[in-house]
Amino acid sequence: MAKRVVWLLMFFCLGAAPAFAEDVIKIGAFFDLSGRAAFIGTPTKLVAEMVVDAINAAGGVNGTPVELVVADTEGDPAKAASIATKFIYKDKVAAIVGPTLTDTGMNVKKIVHTGRTPIVMTVGGDPVIMDGGKFGPAHWVFKSPQRSSTAVERLFTYLKDKGLTRVALLTADDGFGKDGLRWMEALAPRFGIEFVAKEAFGARDTDVTAQLVSIKNANPQALVVWTIGPAGAIVAKNRQQLGMTIPLFQSHGLPDPKYIELAGPASEGTRMPATKLLVVDELPDSDPQKSVIQEFVRRYTERGYAKQFPINTHSGYAWDAIMLIVKAMERVGTDPEALRSAIETTKGYVGVSGVYNLSPEDHNGLGVDSMVMVEVKDGRFVLAQ
Amino acid sequence: MDFMQFVWAGLGNGAIYALIALGFCVVHGAMGIVNFVQVDLVTLGGMFLYSASVLAGLPVPVGLLAAVVGTALVAMLVERLGLRPARTDHPLVLVFLTVGISIVLRGAIQMVWGKNRMAVPPIAEDVPVRLWGAMVLPQTLWMMVLTVAAIGGLVWFFRGTNLGLAMRAVASNPRAAAVVGIPAGRVRMAAFAVAGACGGLAGALVTPVTTLSADVGVLLGLKGFAAAILGGFGSFPGAVAGGVLLGLVESLAAAYVSSAYKDALAFVVLVLVLCWRPSGIVRQ
Repeated sequence: MAKRVVWLLMFFCLGAAPAFAEDVIKIGAFFDLSGRAAFIGTPTKLVAEMVVDAINAAGGVNGTPVELVVADTEGDPAKAASIATKFIYKDKVAAIVGPTLTDTGMNVKKIVHTGRTPIVMTVGGDPVIMDGGKFGPAHWVFKSPQRSSTAVERLFTYLKDKGLTRVALLTADDGFGKDGLRWMEALAPRFGIEFVAKEAFGARDTDVTAQLVSIKNANPQALVVWTIGPAGAIVAKNRQQLGMTIPLFQSHGLPDPKYIELAGPASEGTRMPATKLLVVDELPDSDPQKSVIQEFVRRYTERGYAKQFPINTHSGYAWDAIMLIVKAMERVGTDPEALRSAIETTKGYVGVSGVYNLSPEDHNGLGVDSMVMVEVKDGRFVLAQ
Repeated sequence: MDFMQFVWAGLGNGAIYALIALGFCVVHGAMGIVNFVQVDLVTLGGMFLYSASVLAGLPVPVGLLAAVVGTALVAMLVERLGLRPARTDHPLVLVFLTVGISIVLRGAIQMVWGKNRMAVPPIAEDVPVRLWGAMVLPQTLWMMVLTVAAIGGLVWFFRGTNLGLAMRAVASNPRAAAVVGIPAGRVRMAAFAVAGACGGLAGALVTPVTTLSADVGVLLGLKGFAAAILGGFGSFPGAVAGGVLLGLVESLAAAYVSSAYKDALAFVVLVLVLCWRPSGIVRQ
């Protein structure tokens, strides 16, 4: 009998749940929790949960709590598309954050466009916020990480300042590497940079000595590598193996303590564009981001995430993505079109990854000043001189 | 000068492809199937080495041994608990079983060892040595030495031991082998153990160079599979030759033709060889 009462109670509780749920704002969040980018997607999810908890602890959005609906894209564009559809029509979310990879992001653009739901993506590539033609509609799409072009500009400004204009390129043959290559080729003339060698490699290659020998023979002043993940560490190790002394520059995808761990002593001296997250203690007190980042780092460490996923340059993107949505909601509520316009007109939001100033032409809103050049020194990241 | 650099890089990778190809061939010989679990056995080799040498703090050679033995044991379990209960000889059923087990194993690896990339220590310190004008990592040399040793061990196993002879008997004529009372189950399990040892050794040798993650074996496994086909699927000398050839073509293509198309070139060579000699580069 007692058992039956318990079952009945549980049944009622389940049935009653939607009644409670009416007064929450739902945000859909989908990342690569498994699949090839799980090492990026998993910490992104943790940060998303952390920021939602922080918002709810502070009273939610104008008194209404926020609920995160989490899903796993498995790095599969088709899966991402079906999750986005579920978010919009079944969960009826007010906005979406994620996914993790540029390819999966591209496959969601049309769905959020027809579904009229704003999405703030946490992907690296620029095509997601490019509008029209083969890129598809980007009216409802925003992204919180810096554009590739911003990182390229930051890097080229630095190279020009140092007088390193004879450059060799080594780019991965995946979407990220090709995006970087496209922007570097487009922006090089403006900075007076000349490419003396252009080589490519597979993001999962085990050895790039062949490419490095060709580069060495071209005798450049600097070597720029554009890739994410372990391939960057392999390049650094091969460079050391060949005894090359050409200064090594990596993309904004690599500033991560993991890079130092994987490449070991070979990482020493590598320079790369990064968000200010990794060098927060070196920032001047006048920097408006300093206190925001320090607060973020404190929360992240407090929750014990830092042990499994040490803070890297990407850690803040989910925080900024959700904050962009929530700040807009505080102004205009959850009506889709109003929310979209409010996100689009965000001005001066001081985030973890930079100060966001969005506009109809710029669905990212971060400028070159949101990035700094960092260098690996004695096994940790410091501001590059 | 530079040429030798490319050759060493090609030989190092080629040795790894050869080991993986051998693993494919051993199982193919005993059961007539393509064993897709092979790719995860490579990953497991790296994972066991990581656990033994980084987490447990054992010296790297001991970790290497643990990786080989541990992966062989897992491979035996895969055969005993994954394939044998199906009670079938139908190749298609068995192949799809290995595909399924491969997915399960990869998920399990991700749960046990996590989703992050890991650094694995090499056998000898990463100080390059100069050999015929090229800078070579000691790990590359170890790859070649241990691959040659493994091949020697396999030759002895298949020629000098009863179990090895039984496996060859099953490979050449399963029915006749059954008639003279060779236990098929034990032979299959042994084949998986050998495949596991080859894959585990390959994984433990290559992950200090590539770094380690739950899907590190997938692309390497694909290259190993290509190497096995190049050598005429099932032939042991062919697998070794195929692996070395594939490694060399990749490295030299990246150096002298185009680094953007080196993978494509390697597979073009594969197609050409298959057109010119469908049974592989080594005559059976």
